Amino acid sequence: MTALPLHHYLVVGAVLFALGLIGFLARRNLIIMFLCVEMMLQGVSVNLAAFARYRGNLQGQAFILFLVAVAACEAAIALALILMLYRRRHSLDVSKWQELREPGEGPTEDVEPLPPTPREPPLPHLTPAGVEPEHRPEESHV
Amino acid sequence: MSDVRPYLWLIPALPLTAAAITGVFGPRLLRRHSHWPCILAGAGACVVAVLTCLAVYQDIAASEHSQPQQVRVYYEWIRVGDPGAGRGIEVGFGLNADALSAMMVLVVTFVGTLIAIYSVGYMHDDEGYARFFAEVSLFLFMMTTLVLADNFVLLYLGWEGVGLCSYLLIGFWFTKPAAAAAARKAFLVTRIGDMGLLLGILLLWSRFGHYLDYQHIFDNVQSAHKAGTLDYGLLTTACLLLLCGAVGKSAQFPLHVWLPDAMEGPTPVSALIHAATMVTAGVYLVARCTPLFALAPDAQVIVASLGALSALLTALIALTQNDLKRVLAYSTISQLGYMFLALGSGVRSGSEAFVTFAVLAALFHLFTHAFFKALLFLSAGSVMHAMGNVIDMRRFGGLRKVLPQTHWTFLCGGAALAGFPLLSGFWSKDEILDAAWTAGLHAEQYRGWYLVLWLVGLLTAGLTAFYTFRAYFMTFWGEERIPQEAFEHPHGHAAHGGTPRLESPPVMTVPLMVLAVFAVGVGLVLGPTHLFGHFVAHTPDLPEYEAEVPNYFMMVISSLVALAGIATAWWMYVRQPDLPARLAKSAQGLYQLSLNKFHIDELYEAFLLAPLAGFTTFIRIFDLYVLDSLVDLTGQLFRWLGLRFRPVQNGLVQFYALAMVLGLTVFLIALLLKL
Repeated sequence: MTALPLHHYLVVGAVLFALGLIGFLARRNLIIMFLCVEMMLQGVSVNLAAFARYRGNLQGQAFILFLVAVAACEAAIALALILMLYRRRHSLDVSKWQELREPGEGPTEDVEPLPPTPREPPLPHLTPAGVEPEHRPEESHV
Repeated sequence: MSDVRPYLWLIPALPLTAAAITGVFGPRLLRRHSHWPCILAGAGACVVAVLTCLAVYQDIAASEHSQPQQVRVYYEWIRVGDPGAGRGIEVGFGLNADALSAMMVLVVTFVGTLIAIYSVGYMHDDEGYARFFAEVSLFLFMMTTLVLADNFVLLYLGWEGVGLCSYLLIGFWFTKPAAAAAARKAFLVTRIGDMGLLLGILLLWSRFGHYLDYQHIFDNVQSAHKAGTLDYGLLTTACLLLLCGAVGKSAQFPLHVWLPDAMEGPTPVSALIHAATMVTAGVYLVARCTPLFALAPDAQVIVASLGALSALLTALIALTQNDLKRVLAYSTISQLGYMFLALGSGVRSGSEAFVTFAVLAALFHLFTHAFFKALLFLSAGSVMHAMGNVIDMRRFGGLRKVLPQTHWTFLCGGAALAGFPLLSGFWSKDEILDAAWTAGLHAEQYRGWYLVLWLVGLLTAGLTAFYTFRAYFMTFWGEERIPQEAFEHPHGHAAHGGTPRLESPPVMTVPLMVLAVFAVGVGLVLGPTHLFGHFVAHTPDLPEYEAEVPNYFMMVISSLVALAGIATAWWMYVRQPDLPARLAKSAQGLYQLSLNKFHIDELYEAFLLAPLAGFTTFIRIFDLYVLDSLVDLTGQLFRWLGLRFRPVQNGLVQFYALAMVLGLTVFLIALLLKL
């Protein structure tokens, strides 16, 4: 079985990158946008791996290891951020966040806004059972 | 005796060190002892100057009839291009002691030291005591640099430096508006002349072989003259530009207006800077450039005419001034005018030796004038000190019993200035008149004109004697009048028992007596014996000199004129004290003209300052409304552009990302097209 030539891998990487880019520009859902960014990152990773293989050394692959680690950290932070944002606006629409514009400029209005997410039903509130354990009142005033 | 000249750098260096020490430590540490660095440095420099003079004199004695070799101290300062090939600039911190420099530096350091000692008494309770001595030391540094320099750039450095010190010292009491204005006026008026000097130096550099040191320039001009390739028009222009600087610094007409106002400064400063040393820098410059001026008779006649005009004009003004120091100031201008008259008389007249004779006359007058004018100013300062800073002669009189020592020293100085027979002023003034007379008889060009100038000089000699003794009689004779301020003076030794003792302390009177001895004797010792002439004539570049036979005819005439002036003053101010007032009334127009200094200040005000002020107003309006609007326009343009681009910042993440992608695309396309 002969090895595939380099450009095949590069095309795959480019397709992944382009799909991610288009997704990032076109979609408005924060999570989808984040996933698109990850996809772009993977496109780059494919390229690195292909070049590493092609050149016969491990530099590209070592680089990918770092990339994956960074992407994992990013995912943790980004998802936490998205959760916080969602709690403020009850929506994942990125166009709800345009406060960082030039002062005095009006907001960009959406022609067709996303349908509002239905309020999720509140979690059931359980009555506490048993006796509250004794504890000393807090002394710290920090 | 070992040669002292390798240590020539000590002469400027000592006062500079003193200035630095006094300037840094004076106000806090030295305080009332701030005069010590200045006096010690001045005395040290004076000793070196004396030794230098002796060394130069030995050289002259050793090599009779040949130019003595020069000893130069040289440090490279500026070097651009290839000076050896005559393309470039080479300026060294080169000090050169030839006879002329040695004589000048001796005068500067000797008079400077005496005046510094005198200042200890005069300035004793002044708040700026340390500042005064720091500035005087700095002045000594600048002045010695000026006279010792062996090139024009270093001379210019000293030239501007003494101008600065003059400004600082005239404005010493800068809280007094008159002093501040006088300092500004002095600085600006001399600036006009300095501009000419700078242009002259640059013209010499660019057209006479790209050199800046005297020796090369003079040699180049001399050889071009011998080869017949010299551009005389250009040389005359260069000489006139140099003269411009000299006229500004030496306060000659039409730039003389700053010197009388400069009397606002402390009196020792007036004596040192505005009588004995700095104002003679112009005379020194022209004397130094004699090899150039001797080849430009047109320039020479202008030098002589300006000198004679200044001498006469200011002598006429001095006749009616009531401020003792101003009389002396106008007399200084007048005497400097004499020196220029002598310098200008140095034209070719058969023999080249005459040029040297005329220059020597000017320098001899410079030499004696430094002593007797410093003496007169210091005596006037002593009077002023005793009278509680009153200097108006109408308010005091008959002081010869009150201030006996000052009276005698003033009389010595006054008699020397008036040209009283056998005193120093007599010998030097006589030589100047002789020079003008000889030029009038034998000059190749402008013969008649020089005779007119001689007549002007003779008339001025009479006027000089008259106004000097008018001041003397008004101050020291007549009934005794002492202004009230004299007794309010902080140390006016109020009447202990008998009459109050107003005479100045010994620290002031001793320098006066030393100067008086010199004012009386120096002419007789150095003049008729030709000691001075033989010494200074050995300055390189001066034509060969033969001692001339004393002109007894001239001596008799000038003595008669001087005695007549003195006698007239005595008649008018001692014998018939009401005569001057009657005369003034009968010739009211002339009297007012002289009293108001021929309205020259007012003329400048009307014809120069007012149009200039109008022009500046125009410039100001132009700047405010045209230039400023242009500047504002550039700001407004970018403001407007910014407004257009503001909507781009809309806060949408995806819009930014799109912009980034588009920008990257454009960049990539450009890269591809480049490949």
